Amino acid sequence: MTSGSQQPKRRGVALDLRGVRRSYGGAEVLRGVDLSVNAGELLAIVGQSGTGKSVLLRQIIGLERPDAGRITVGGLELPRYLAIPPEEKPFRIAMVFQNAALLASLTVAENVGLRLREHRRHRPDEIEAIIHRVLADVELEGTEAKLPSELSGGMRKRVAIARALAVDPELILYDEPTADLDPILTQQIGELIGRIRTNRGSTQIIVTHNLPLARAIADRIAVLDQGRIVECSTPAELAASRQPLTREFLRAAALGV
Amino acid sequence: MAVEAIGRVPRRPGPIGRLGAGLLDVLQVLGEAASLFTAAVRASAFVPVDRQRVVVQMVRVGTDTLSIGALLSVFVGMVLVVQAADQLREVNESVLGPIVGLAMTKELGPVMMAFLLAGRAGSAMAAELGSMTVYDEINALRTMDIDPVRFLVMPRFVAATLALPLLILYSDFIGVWGGALVVAIDPAIKLTTNEYFARMLEWVHFSDVVIGLVKGLMFGMIASVVPCTFGLRTRGGTEGIATATTSAVVWSFILILVFDFLIVRGSFAVN
Ligand SMILES: Nc1ncnc2c1ncn2[C@@H]1O[C@H](COP(=O)(O)OP(=O)(O)O)[C@@H](O)[C@H]1O
Ligand SMILES: [Mg+2]
Repeated sequence: MTSGSQQPKRRGVALDLRGVRRSYGGAEVLRGVDLSVNAGELLAIVGQSGTGKSVLLRQIIGLERPDAGRITVGGLELPRYLAIPPEEKPFRIAMVFQNAALLASLTVAENVGLRLREHRRHRPDEIEAIIHRVLADVELEGTEAKLPSELSGGMRKRVAIARALAVDPELILYDEPTADLDPILTQQIGELIGRIRTNRGSTQIIVTHNLPLARAIADRIAVLDQGRIVECSTPAELAASRQPLTREFLRAAALGV
Repeated sequence: MAVEAIGRVPRRPGPIGRLGAGLLDVLQVLGEAASLFTAAVRASAFVPVDRQRVVVQMVRVGTDTLSIGALLSVFVGMVLVVQAADQLREVNESVLGPIVGLAMTKELGPVMMAFLLAGRAGSAMAAELGSMTVYDEINALRTMDIDPVRFLVMPRFVAATLALPLLILYSDFIGVWGGALVVAIDPAIKLTTNEYFARMLEWVHFSDVVIGLVKGLMFGMIASVVPCTFGLRTRGGTEGIATATTSAVVWSFILILVFDFLIVRGSFAVN
């Protein structure tokens, strides 16, 4: 696993959140999130279950609109970015859902190539080649014709990552990519994300409970608590943090829980 | 936090409150169905490009309905003749043909086949879209800039809307022959099958068949849009999918009957 020493070169986009708020019914889940992610950076977001990490990702990808606050991606206001027709978007964002969210009725290859096929910017043979390449990237050659139900949980997650990579995205969001995976698979996914960082330079945001993983691969780690980012620092700085929640996390991680 | 939460515990609503909440739910569902309907109609512009997906759905509707549809229709045609013959023996058996013909084309064919479509194909649509909603597949499509209405709802909508009129013709035909079968073999019925068909053709007009087909178009829209609506609004895991499926079928049945009444009432008002 590579740590955050070498700065990636090309293709990431920066992301900026200012005062992002989101409530459901009466309950305010996000209470003014401020967060800046540099182009090509690998940022981990940690926080307790139910603090709103998934909610935060849904605001960033545009599945939901925040009640207040601004989100800019690659210098564009998010609503403006979202309004651009798919084939004219200046850059692409992809999300890897917690349960992979592959379409159950489509094969691995169809899932991976879906976005390219629907947007009709590539010839079928180009799409074939891309599918082949990204499946090789996630070490799943030969699974093209399988259905998601025929794969293990770890394989499904890697197919989901391949599906994201197929559009060569400038920003990738991962929602707990290693939840319910064993340590070896966790390490594999971690290495894969590290490789994407070095090879493609995409900006990546990883929501995770796995602090050791976050410390091993992330440039910075943001701690979400009570609807705000209470701390955002490098793994080294984090080790010396005085934030109570951060200390809790570090202690729990040291105990191996 | 705890104090706040206790302060907000809602009072158990009384009967009027529950009725009101129920009514709001109904309006909400109808509103969502109406807006999904408009979106599906708009997405139908892509039928030429997406015809493959429409065909796939038509085949699914067909395999779901053709065999049971034949069984239902033949028995209903037979029962109609047996029942009516018993009532009419003293009067005039020659109206058996018109009775079966008119009942099948105008009412039984359309409603039976619509129920069948909603119960088999519609419930499958609700379950499938419900599971896609619960497991984030719909969200995944959205993040990939793929419109779930065009990708999932439109092919089902178009397939059901085109398939149901065809299914109704099929049902009419089989039902009428089911009746003819009883006419031919029941020794108590003196009418010949020739007379049965001759009188039927005399009484059943092209416009009666057309009314049935128009109903088919409308019911086909209902039996696909309503299940898709429930599928897309599914919440809460496996249990949610089961609830969505059941509600989708019940609601399709109710709306089919309501629209059946409105169409019949409307067509009489015109005449
Ligand atoms: N669509 C929604 N409707 C109502 N409440 C929601 C919704 N989505 C999330 N929440 C609530 O927001 C909080 C944060 O959820 P989530 O972001 O999923 O947590 P996590 O940090 O574990 O990913 C939870 O209390 C959840 O109940
Ligand atoms: Mg979550």
